Amino acid sequence: MKKLMNSPDAFVDEMLAGLVAAHPSLAQEGRVIRRTGGTKKGKVGIVSGGGSGHLPLFTGYVGDGLLDACAIGDVFAGPSVDSCIQAIRAADGGAGVLRLYGNYGGDRMNFDLAGEMVEMDSIQTTTVLGTDDIASAAPEDSAKRRGVAGIIYAYKIAGAKADTGAGLAEVTATAQAAVGACRTIGVALSPCQIPGAAKPTFELGADEIEMGMGIHGEPGIWRDKLRPADEIADEMVRRLLADPVAHGSDRVSVLVNSLGATPLEELFIIYRRAATLLKKEGLAIVRPLVGHYVTSMEMAGLSISIIRLDAEREKLLAAPCACPFWRV
Amino acid sequence: MAITANEVRHAAARAREAAALAQDDLNAADGKMGDGDTGVMLRRLFEAIAAAIPDQETDIGSVFQACAKACASGTGSSLGTLVTVAMMTLAKATKGRGEVGWIELGPLLASVRDQMMARGGAMLGDKTVVDMVDAVAVALVDVRTRKEAAEAARKAVRETLDAFRNRPNRLGRARMFGERTIGLDDPGMLAFSLLLVAVAA
Repeated sequence: MKKLMNSPDAFVDEMLAGLVAAHPSLAQEGRVIRRTGGTKKGKVGIVSGGGSGHLPLFTGYVGDGLLDACAIGDVFAGPSVDSCIQAIRAADGGAGVLRLYGNYGGDRMNFDLAGEMVEMDSIQTTTVLGTDDIASAAPEDSAKRRGVAGIIYAYKIAGAKADTGAGLAEVTATAQAAVGACRTIGVALSPCQIPGAAKPTFELGADEIEMGMGIHGEPGIWRDKLRPADEIADEMVRRLLADPVAHGSDRVSVLVNSLGATPLEELFIIYRRAATLLKKEGLAIVRPLVGHYVTSMEMAGLSISIIRLDAEREKLLAAPCACPFWRV
Repeated sequence: MAITANEVRHAAARAREAAALAQDDLNAADGKMGDGDTGVMLRRLFEAIAAAIPDQETDIGSVFQACAKACASGTGSSLGTLVTVAMMTLAKATKGRGEVGWIELGPLLASVRDQMMARGGAMLGDKTVVDMVDAVAVALVDVRTRKEAAEAARKAVRETLDAFRNRPNRLGRARMFGERTIGLDDPGMLAFSLLLVAVAA
C-alpha cells in the first residue's frame, strides 16, 4: 500500500508540524497540541488523546468550545505518559481538567498514571471514557465498549458546558451523560495500513464488508458480501435504535462519518436513507454531521452515530465552537 | 558474580538488537489479533531504552530509572506502558544498589508481575505478557548464577508459550478475536520471550 511519507518513524511528528503550520490556532509542544491562546483562567480544561491515524480525531478538535489540549501517540498507539502529563498541564486553567478519551487499555493506563502525577501538583482531574461502539460489547457490558466516532459529540457538549463556567463535577457529569446517550456502529469495506508495517492491519475480500468492525480493524459482528447501501444503512440504524439509551427525547443528532477512503458522495447516499428511517421512527434530526470526522487512515467504510438529545444537550450542541475541522 | 549496572547495560544492548531482529515477526504475530505494530513499537522503545542508560552509572536503580523515563516519553501502547511499569518497579526496588544477587531476580520479577496486573488489569491466565513474567518469576526462584538463571528462563518461556498457544486471549483488543486466537502466540508473550532469550544468551 502506497503512502506519502519520508520515513515511518517521522510520520507522526511531520504530520503534527504540518497541522500546526496550517492552523495558527494550534500550538505544538512535542506530542501535545494545545490552543495557541491557552486555557482561560478559571475554566475547566478538557483534554483528550489517543493514537495517530484518526485525523481529525484527536488533535484536530483542539479549539474554542472543544478541547484545550490533546496528547497524541504513534499511529494506533496511545500517547506516552509524559505527553498525557504535559497535555493535562496545558489544559489546566486552575479549575480542574476533564480527561475525555476512548476506552482503550493503553490510553487508560497512561492517562491514569498521568493523573496520579499531576495530582502531586494539585491539579484535580476526572475521567470520562468514550464507550459508544455497540459492536464491541453487549448493552449489559457497555462499560467494556470501545470509543469511536461518537466521542466528538462528547467533546462538543463538554466543551460548551465548560465555557458556561460550570465546575469540574458538572462538566464531567454532562460529558458522561453525552457518552451515555450516544451510540455508534461502523462498517468496513477495505483495510488500512500502519506506516512501516509490511501488510494491512486486516484482510477483507474485494467483494466483502464487515459490519461492526472497529477503527483499528477489531472484529465486528459479521462479514459477508457487499450489499446495496440502503440495506447497510437500514441494518446500522436499526441496530443503533435497538440499543437501549436511558435518557433522551425524540430529538437526535446524527453523524455519518467516513473512515478515511469513503467519499462524501457515498456518505450522503447513506445519510439520505438513515434520515428517512429515523423520521419514520418518529425522531427529529438536529444538526446532522456528514463528513470525515474520525478516520482510520485509508480504511474504506463509514460509521453512523446517533445521540439522543435533551434540552441541555441540544443547547450545548448549538453553542459556538471553532477548530480546524468543525465550526458552529 | 551478582547483577551489576554493567550487566543491565549489556542486557539493554542485547534487547535492542533482538527487538530489531524480531520486528517483522512480532508485527506479523500482532497482525493476527491486533493492528500489526508491536514489532515497530518495541524496536523503537528498546532503541530509546538502550540510548538512555548513562555510560558511567553504577547504581542499578538509577539505570532502571533512566530506562523508565525513556519508556514514559517513548511510547503509549499498552505493552509499552507495561514495560514502563516494569522499569519503574525495578528502579524503586534497586535504588542505591551496586549489586543484586541472582537469587533476588525471581522475587523482583514477581513484584513486576504484580505491578503490571495492578496497572493493566490483567489476571493470570488471560494470555498476556503477565503470564510470561509470572512463569519466569517462578522459574527463577532458586537460581544463584547467571548460567542457572539463563537456563531456567529459556525453559520457562518455551514451556509457557506452548502451554498458552491453544488457549484464547481474554484481554484487550485480542479478546475480541475470541476463539480465533486459539493456536496463536500472544504478541506480548512472544515479545517478552524473544527479548529474554536474547538477554540470556
